[in-house]
Amino acid sequence: MALRVNYFVDETVSNLRRNVLLTLAAVSTVSISLLLLGVVMVGGEVLTKMVSSWEGKVELNVFLRDEATPEEVAAIKTQTTGMPEVEEVFFESKEQAFEEYKRMFKDSPAITENVDPNALPASYRIKLKDPNQAEPVASRLQGQPGVDEVQFGGEAMKRLLKFTGVVRTILVIAIVLTLGAAVLLIANTIRLGIYARRKEIGIMKLVGATNWFIRVPFIFEGTVQAALGALVASALIYAGKVFGLDRMQDAILFLPLTVSSGSIIRMFFTLLLIGIVIGVFGSTLALRRFLEV
Amino acid sequence: MIRLENVSKVYKGSVVALRDISTDIQKEEFVFLVGSSGSGKSTFIKMLLKEEEPSEGTIYVAGKDIGQLPRWRVPYLRRNIGCVFQDFKLLANKSVRENVAFALEVIGRPKHIINQRVPAIIELVGLTEKLNSLPHELSGGEQQRVCIARAMVNRPPILLADEPTGNLDPSTSADIMNLLERLNESGTTVLIATHDHAVVDRSRKRVIELDGGKLVRDQVRGVYGIG
Ligand SMILES: Nc1ncnc2c1ncn2[C@@H]1O[C@H](COP(=O)(O)OP(=O)(O)O)[C@@H](O)[C@H]1O
Ligand SMILES: [Mg+2]
Repeated sequence: MALRVNYFVDETVSNLRRNVLLTLAAVSTVSISLLLLGVVMVGGEVLTKMVSSWEGKVELNVFLRDEATPEEVAAIKTQTTGMPEVEEVFFESKEQAFEEYKRMFKDSPAITENVDPNALPASYRIKLKDPNQAEPVASRLQGQPGVDEVQFGGEAMKRLLKFTGVVRTILVIAIVLTLGAAVLLIANTIRLGIYARRKEIGIMKLVGATNWFIRVPFIFEGTVQAALGALVASALIYAGKVFGLDRMQDAILFLPLTVSSGSIIRMFFTLLLIGIVIGVFGSTLALRRFLEV
Repeated sequence: MIRLENVSKVYKGSVVALRDISTDIQKEEFVFLVGSSGSGKSTFIKMLLKEEEPSEGTIYVAGKDIGQLPRWRVPYLRRNIGCVFQDFKLLANKSVRENVAFALEVIGRPKHIINQRVPAIIELVGLTEKLNSLPHELSGGEQQRVCIARAMVNRPPILLADEPTGNLDPSTSADIMNLLERLNESGTTVLIATHDHAVVDRSRKRVIELDGGKLVRDQVRGVYGIG
């Protein structure tokens, strides 16, 4: 068996070297396909992060009547924390509300000076598990004893959520499409490589090589090409992060435009795996026609 | 060694290539399969290799009904049959030695066997000088010798040749036939499909003649034809 592995390794290396042009073409096709996929994946990660940070800011504000009894206030707390849609509930007293107000307008003391510290209502701020549930939760709380008003983003928030939903759907479609394109491009390259060596395959069949013996060098080659392609694609994406995204992030601080190096490493392994799977399946499928005789 | 019982072959599109052929080729025999172009010679050879299946009838190779052979056993059948073709089928980017060694490598033979057998068979076909030449640096006759060396390096009991002299001039053809006869004398069963009159008439071996897919003659010390 050791001798056979030797043969496969020799054969793979010498084929890759002998067909330098074909190998280059194959590796660049794989790189481009995986690059496309990687860009969509990284772009998707950035967008998803942005979208979730917007969605995370969506809160319900339950303003309490000044004359609400401590029992009513406590009852609202119990009711909201008991709701399955609710993630977390914070209480904000009148004093805390005034402090917050002062902090917001600390550069214009004229505004705060004229405000009675008692004018701002106490409230519960409710974080939801799914921001889309804001409306039903709000309508359930509206009119409860002790509740003055329930505020949530309303129309503006609905539009934001609709937008983020569309963004997520487009992302899924883009990933499916680029993955499909990668499969087709890589499969086609494999087919070209096999076609270029059909004579060799014919002779192997003739002298009695088993199908597995014929397949293995192609699968080895596909794997090496996939690995090189994934490496090139990931390197380009990493360069894109360092010279593109990171600089943009420095310029636009309020948007979370970052991708961590860790997620690029994770993406490299994902691309590697995808490349190898496509390589192995693609060459097995493409060889089938030549192995039939 | 090779036996056909009532074998017919109809290609899809209803081309009848062979009709009801029965014949028997003994171990260590030397047989010519003759007939004009399209008479079914190549089809005959392909069926022995299981590249084509007979539409009817049974084919035995080395006593075994190859129709019963499962697909995964076909490579092992082919290891017992050496093959030579009109167009040589050599790999252009491999040297003489590499082309011959390839036949052993791809059936998983160990290196020490390859290192021992390849130079020996190349010497037998008289190409030791050209060991490291590429196919395009060789004459047609030399290329056919490489092809024969590749067919014989695994020491198969049977050698099939489809028009082996089809691309060669008469004197080179005679050299190749001498080589094939020598291989036959050392124990290989040889079947040669050809429509080369000179080659057949010179050897005076058994001749099986096909005409339009029918076996029309089987003669022990034959010539190509009356005409
Ligand atoms: N793959 C094929 N499909 C259909 N017809 C074929 C095929 N191969 C050969 N034939 C037909 O079968 C007949 C015999 O062909 P062949 O065996 O090649 O004859 P030969 O080798 O004696 O010239 C011819 O009529 C040829 O056209
Ligand atoms: Mg023919």
